[in-house]
Amino acid sequence: MQLYKPEVEAQRFWNPYTQTMPRAELDPLHLRKLQTVIAYAYARSPMYRKLLDRHKVRPEQIRTLDDFVKRLPFIDKKEILDAQAVNPPFGDALAISEDFFHQRFATSGSTGTPLHIPLTYHSAELWGESWVYGFWAAGLRARHSFYFAFNWGIFAAFWSAYMGVRRLGATVISGGGLDSKARLRQIEQYRPDVILATPTYALYLGETARELGMDLAKTSISHVFVAGEPGASIPATRRAIEELWGAKCYELYGIAELGPTNPGCPLQGGVHLCEEWYHALVVDESGHPVPYGEVGEHIVTSYIQDGQPLIKYRTHDLVRWTDVPCGCGTTWLYYPGGVLGRTDQMIIVKGVNVYPSALEALLHRVAGLSEHYELHVGRDALNDFVTVKVEARGEIDENRYASVGREAEAVFKSAVGVSIGVEVQKPGSLPRYELKAKRFFDHRPAAHRWQLSGGPGA
Amino acid sequence: MREETIERIRGIQAEVRRLRQASDNPAIERTMQLLDLYCHMARWELGDVEAMIPEAETR
Repeated sequence: MQLYKPEVEAQRFWNPYTQTMPRAELDPLHLRKLQTVIAYAYARSPMYRKLLDRHKVRPEQIRTLDDFVKRLPFIDKKEILDAQAVNPPFGDALAISEDFFHQRFATSGSTGTPLHIPLTYHSAELWGESWVYGFWAAGLRARHSFYFAFNWGIFAAFWSAYMGVRRLGATVISGGGLDSKARLRQIEQYRPDVILATPTYALYLGETARELGMDLAKTSISHVFVAGEPGASIPATRRAIEELWGAKCYELYGIAELGPTNPGCPLQGGVHLCEEWYHALVVDESGHPVPYGEVGEHIVTSYIQDGQPLIKYRTHDLVRWTDVPCGCGTTWLYYPGGVLGRTDQMIIVKGVNVYPSALEALLHRVAGLSEHYELHVGRDALNDFVTVKVEARGEIDENRYASVGREAEAVFKSAVGVSIGVEVQKPGSLPRYELKAKRFFDHRPAAHRWQLSGGPGA
Repeated sequence: MREETIERIRGIQAEVRRLRQASDNPAIERTMQLLDLYCHMARWELGDVEAMIPEAETR
């Protein structure tokens, strides 16, 4: 007996109907979904009613996608926080009775007040479904088992992946409440097919395995699914994870308050927008959509968040969107390279845009450097400047650090076209992280960082 | 095929709602509510978009 019929299990797509829909049909379907979500939010969320009233727009005036782009305002995390502050925890942002709540999440609040995220049973199922598009495309089915190397806290993190494994019908194995050594022993014991972790942690487990005398490439793991920070779309990082684990590495890009917006492409070079459950724009600093092929800020509308709707929500992530047909066969929008950086990490050195993910990829080209690094950005009178602090690999003698650093600087100069400073440090000198690594340290005055202003909806 | 599937789901959803309404058993009411939700999700997945949640659909 099988959960899926063999002919269904053999299909490439989880939902072939929308995943192969031509753009000429996808866009009208998006418009219907957007109109539905806008009407729902306006009727039920005081925050959205006030916002739309303030911008003198009513849901029935959104008749075209152009109306959506031009008439509706963007919304940012601060406005949700302000609405929640009216009557904590959810205040004016809420659109549904607490009877329907299924689970509550919160952001870490590391940059201020935590953002509260209500999830209904409906939205939890659909957060899960967004992962399933990626799982299914990577060949994972109900017979596979998934190891969760994370602690199940209030932060959304891999909870949505757990919902995805349940939705797929596969097996969850929890690595919660354990240290890294205990997790590796569990992997030997339970023999899961898949491990889910941040790229940083997937690589960090390699250090722990070395201490245990264990070879991760000889474990049962055939797939590493990473999320939480750029990773699998950066070729060098993906290769490092794949070589370490002897497994294929895939990613999913998501945002805590929106959910898993972009499952990774099975061809591994980037992510697709999950157009079943999300709509996206990519805009420049003036708020206008950039042409396909260009980089801008990712603005997302969720069809999932019925508890706390998010319409034209600013993610502050930089992506390059493209409508070029993808070799994997889906018609969904493709973002090569995944997330390229954050708007608050936008660096311009002598007129050249420098993306943190590109610097990470280049670091891997230099023999003797490890995956542990930090980017420090400062500002002189005219320009941003960048210094990369990176750990050497253990086998590199300390008297070679300066020459390895110069080699890395030459690689940056050749590939990016501008000077980037490199300081090579001893192994173990930079902090380690289980979830998102803090790699970006911005020492610039606020006036020299990305600011979305003017333009449509502002 | 798609249109026929949508029609059949709508029929099931209507029957599920009647059962939910008629039930005086919490376990059955909750199960019927979840069935209603899954019918709603399946219709969205096939592009049959009426409302954001089943409770907001015209009844």
